[in-house]
Amino acid sequence: MKTREMRFSGAGGQGLQLCAKIFSKAMTGAGYHVSMSQSYEPTSRGGLSRADIVASGETPDYPLATELDTLLILDQAAATASEGIIRDDAMVIVDPRRTKNPPEGNFKVIELPLSETAIRVGSERVTNVVATGVIAELSEDIEVKTIENVLRAISPKKFLDMNMDALQAGVALARGVKAA
Amino acid sequence: MNKQVALKADDAKKTADGKEFNIRDYLRLDLFPHFMCPGCGHGIALRALLWAIHEQGIDKDKLAVVCGIGCSGRVGGYIDANTFHTTHGRPLAYATGLKMARPDLHVVVITGDGDCLAIGGNHLIHAARRNLDITCLMLNNEIYGMTGGQGSPTTPRDRFTTTTPAGNREPVFDACKLAEAAGAGYVGREVTIHLPRLRDLIAGGLAHKGFSFIEVMSDCTEVNGRKNDLGSSPEMVLGQTRTMRPPDYEYDSNVVDHPFRPSGLHTGVFVQSDRPEYGAAYRDMSEKLQQGRTKP
Amino acid sequence: MNSMTGQANTVNLQGNKACALGAVAAGCRFFAGYPITPSSEIAENLAKELPAVGGVFLQMEDEIASMAATLGASMGGIKAMTATSGPGFSLKQENLGYGMGAEIPCVVVNVMRGGPSTGLPTRPAQGDIMQTRWGTHGDHPVIVLAPGSVEEIYQQTARAFALSEKLRTPVIVLFDESLGHLVETVALPDVADYEKTVRKWATGKPEDYKPYHGDADGVPPMARPGDGFRVHTSGLTVAENGFPTQKPHEVDALMKRLLGKVALNNDLIESFEAVECKDAEVVIVALGVVGRAARKAVKELREAGIKAGLFRPVTLWPFPTESFRKQTAKARHIIVAEMNAGQLIHEIAEVKTGKQKVTGLNRYDGVPISPVDIKKTVKEVLGHE
Repeated sequence: MKTREMRFSGAGGQGLQLCAKIFSKAMTGAGYHVSMSQSYEPTSRGGLSRADIVASGETPDYPLATELDTLLILDQAAATASEGIIRDDAMVIVDPRRTKNPPEGNFKVIELPLSETAIRVGSERVTNVVATGVIAELSEDIEVKTIENVLRAISPKKFLDMNMDALQAGVALARGVKAA
Repeated sequence: MNKQVALKADDAKKTADGKEFNIRDYLRLDLFPHFMCPGCGHGIALRALLWAIHEQGIDKDKLAVVCGIGCSGRVGGYIDANTFHTTHGRPLAYATGLKMARPDLHVVVITGDGDCLAIGGNHLIHAARRNLDITCLMLNNEIYGMTGGQGSPTTPRDRFTTTTPAGNREPVFDACKLAEAAGAGYVGREVTIHLPRLRDLIAGGLAHKGFSFIEVMSDCTEVNGRKNDLGSSPEMVLGQTRTMRPPDYEYDSNVVDHPFRPSGLHTGVFVQSDRPEYGAAYRDMSEKLQQGRTKP
Repeated sequence: MNSMTGQANTVNLQGNKACALGAVAAGCRFFAGYPITPSSEIAENLAKELPAVGGVFLQMEDEIASMAATLGASMGGIKAMTATSGPGFSLKQENLGYGMGAEIPCVVVNVMRGGPSTGLPTRPAQGDIMQTRWGTHGDHPVIVLAPGSVEEIYQQTARAFALSEKLRTPVIVLFDESLGHLVETVALPDVADYEKTVRKWATGKPEDYKPYHGDADGVPPMARPGDGFRVHTSGLTVAENGFPTQKPHEVDALMKRLLGKVALNNDLIESFEAVECKDAEVVIVALGVVGRAARKAVKELREAGIKAGLFRPVTLWPFPTESFRKQTAKARHIIVAEMNAGQLIHEIAEVKTGKQKVTGLNRYDGVPISPVDIKKTVKEVLGHE
């Protein structure tokens, strides 16, 4: 089981903690030991927000992110926050609509219309779920089915259908990336 | 002479289980002689408390007395009970933990005007608000006696103390009004010269289910009295009876020597309410949660 | 199988919640606290847990009252705890000292944040290492446990109760914001033995009982209110009978026993983690989350052929001096990595017996010391030889 380091970042209120929660539940279900941390700031809306997962076969030696293999950026507020801790072989998934200047480096930056897709599905508020679908599909060691089960279990009833649609839309976006 | 006769008659009338009150049954006599100065009113307050405890039939083993720091803080140590001499200003906070942990104990707090109104003022406000079943005796001698006679929140206007060398200009607290406003279920004030009245006031507090605040107007002959030419102890306590009278007495409202406190204070019971007692309310909630009847 | 994680007996748990659950598992039935970042989740979880098991949760009017009420509850005979962070920990010091002097068991949790003053409420720091040792006035016994993971927070909080009860003294549990807010997959350890450990209660004839006469382990049995002993408890220096004394020989005897009971029971108190110290040329001393960073750094340095080791005190105070000396006997360098301007380094410089060169690695910018920081310092230290 290889060590994973993932960061979900953007602006406060974009549901980034929920992304991390979904992945950590799914990953522990798959046998990972996770360490999940998040930004605790007085300004939870608008400012930089992030949630990190460090996961490995046993309790990670160091629980905080230092070598990200996966980075989600949903807002310009988070564009530079991860400088210096992104691996060269990392995948950096960016929503260009809200992130005009994504970070530059040896890593692969994948620009996807995450928020636009979410709006099409029903609400910009499910951008995080679209992104969850993307990352699940692009991660070899995480089953989309497992993510779906977790999402189903924690979704409030009235958002369940929209969340499921958003997840599948994200998966479709990722398949497009794979095919390209 | 007449007063003494009256006192004895009162003594005989007030006995619990037919057993007469003997203060020696409630004291740690091996600690005597005690620390109090001649003429100090705290000893009378102690007698009144023990007498009230006797009348209420409270078992010494189930009595916990929590004190703070200062002259009042030393009083509890003479009581043959579970006694706790805690830190300055905090006895009500200690007592709150103790009473919540051990509702079977009768918890009495003995504190002073500096302990209770200055450094510990916040705890008084919140103990009164919670209305937990604690009986709080604030021995008010209007001075920090133990530390050598500094001014306190109840030092009257123009009084000379070591920290008010030109006479006190700070306003004073009316502790009973404070306790009442904060929600204490039982509030009263008495002077030490009226021992049976003080005893009855304290007994009422012990019997009351809720936070009882009793201000005992003590006298500090040694530090406060001498510095201000207030006379001997008998003169001081007799002086109190002119400015501290029962609720039906009408003071001349034109004579106000202080914005927060008129020239005269009333004595007696000011508040006796049936506000819910916090310990019982908490345990009721806890029991329901334990039985899974309500969700938090 | 756990429904939350799908793994046997594991659960995803936040550090502060683990602290609350560890306390309840150890038999804690009283908590008094005051809201403060980053420890509030401990209070919030206990507000839910305690009434449901017949315990008491109290939100007090301030930090001082929280400490006092905690001691008051313990004086009544039940296991009690309070939790706070830097500013609140400062406010608790006087009453914490009362607990140490009057020998009242309780657990005080300090989830450290950046200081001084209000500092960095939402960022981690280790600036209270020396305050936990010397915070209250006068000479006093101190036990401080510094867990390094969510699982360890659960375990060490429970252990803190056992040590506190057994030795009749407050025990401090010390970690920081990053661990308090960290969520980790943990297998909850069995703490039944800690739960069973309760203070020695006074028995026998009340007239023969001396409340401050220590047994062979230096610890006097405690009289429970209501059991007929009717003793006096005081913050003043007391003789064996519990009443104040100023006689030099009685004061001296009390202080010797008070300070000695911790030293006497060091085998019970001591705990640490040593990784690859045996042949290490460089030993990193770090606690809490920095200890985790050092563990990762040591693994990577070993892979690169550098003989590095880690000494992580879990019991911070009393510092595990003898074990530290053994583990660092062969080292040429000791690096003390701490999220402050240099506190533990003074203890290390004092207790080391060999010729090891001691170097400090310090951060106080609200960012935890990372494995990268540590590897860099190790290489610098070796490169300068």
